[in-house]
Amino acid sequence: MEGISYQRFPKVKIRELKDDYAKFELRDTDASMANALRRVMISEVPTIAIDLVEIEVNSSVLNDEFIAHRLGLIPLTSERAMSMRFSRDCDACDGDGQCEFCSVEFHLRAKCISDQTLDVTSKDLYSSDHTVVPVDFTDNAGYDSTEPRGIIIVKLRRGQELRLRAIARKGIGKDHAKWSPAATVTFMYEPEIHINEDLMESLTLEEKLSFVESSPTKVFDIDPNTQQVVVVDPEAYTYDDEVLKKAEAMGKPGLVEIYAKEDSFIFTVESTGAIKASQLVLNAIEILKQKLDAVRLSEDTVEADDQFGELGAHMQGG
Amino acid sequence: MKVGRYNLIFYLKICFPNDYWIQFHPFNSFVSWFGDLEIGLKETMEHGSFTDNSAATFSLTDEDHTIANAVRFTLNQYPRVTFCGYSIPHPSEARVNIRVQTTGDPAREVLKDVCQNLMLMCRHVRCTFDKAVEDFKASNAVKAMKIDSQDSSGDDSEESE
Repeated sequence: MEGISYQRFPKVKIRELKDDYAKFELRDTDASMANALRRVMISEVPTIAIDLVEIEVNSSVLNDEFIAHRLGLIPLTSERAMSMRFSRDCDACDGDGQCEFCSVEFHLRAKCISDQTLDVTSKDLYSSDHTVVPVDFTDNAGYDSTEPRGIIIVKLRRGQELRLRAIARKGIGKDHAKWSPAATVTFMYEPEIHINEDLMESLTLEEKLSFVESSPTKVFDIDPNTQQVVVVDPEAYTYDDEVLKKAEAMGKPGLVEIYAKEDSFIFTVESTGAIKASQLVLNAIEILKQKLDAVRLSEDTVEADDQFGELGAHMQGG
Repeated sequence: MKVGRYNLIFYLKICFPNDYWIQFHPFNSFVSWFGDLEIGLKETMEHGSFTDNSAATFSLTDEDHTIANAVRFTLNQYPRVTFCGYSIPHPSEARVNIRVQTTGDPAREVLKDVCQNLMLMCRHVRCTFDKAVEDFKASNAVKAMKIDSQDSSGDDSEESE
């Protein structure tokens, strides 16, 4: 196509936005960008998770590494993560990666003294930094009649004790899934559905009903006033071709035409609670920009070339 | 000559601090090093020819399909690029080879341009998303206020009865 500019500027429209769930439309971009965004959201947005556990006392039924594994998977509120440093890159601490700039310290002390089983939950983890705490999952506290509980780590019987110190560090999902902030990220092409009205007229009401029923998800419905088949929810269409097969089976192959718009995507982002869903998307865009920047800047090598030449000459000469 | 080159590599690894990673390649001595960038070191090797710089293969370490596919797609939209593709030599190694062939422009410049354009697009998406979130919150706040005012006016009328 002649005259298209190199640059396309995408448009975003938000459908739903909650703390841990976001549904939005991304238009005027291509599948590779949408997929890049999805991949970065899952694996390269940094969060904070427990990485090092020092256990002082553990007389519970689970062994040490089991408990350490469970602690690592607890989601921690990670707003600080983007501005924190990776422990390996931190030059403030003396190499053990446990200074205040690159890590957050937690401790947990639980001992069961009553006859009732004690649930050790994520609420018993005390943090040294009040901005990095285990995620609180009680947004519909009305339904849980008991107190807000938290994620159960281990259950203790009378006399059993658990005492430990944990260090949480910044990481990305690529290293270990505990650092992934996304529960699920999906995108689908936006469907465009055209009903051929003339062919639809030639169907009886029962045939129309059976056609509407043939779709596994509710895409079509019969309008009660006009007795016409209308599209009630185009996005419920999952690109199974059941309705097309049904139309062919009924002997009317062109009854509906369904296209996937190639440059229009509907994203559904669910976060684990470590980062808000909207913040997750923004961080993902930021990380994608940083990666592209790294590739772009790594090409600037002209001066270094000269330096090399001099060094080489020096070596070979003397 | 060859002996001299190998000595050069050995010499560099001793005298430069561990933070800087320098890769020497026999064909094109393109060297990349980073200082304090938080993302870490990115090593890119360009396999090309000295005489014709309109065609080259860029080997990026610590990269995968995420940016390779996006760069490849965008490059294929450019009229001045005759060929663009990417491959991953081995799935266990985090390395991507991007091949670019142009109608005369240096391949390195074209790659830089496409990274620039993609970054611009990211910036735009970010601004648009921010704005969309604000609009959504504003419209929700208005709806919530309307519901509240309806509820309260409803309660008043009930109480008065």
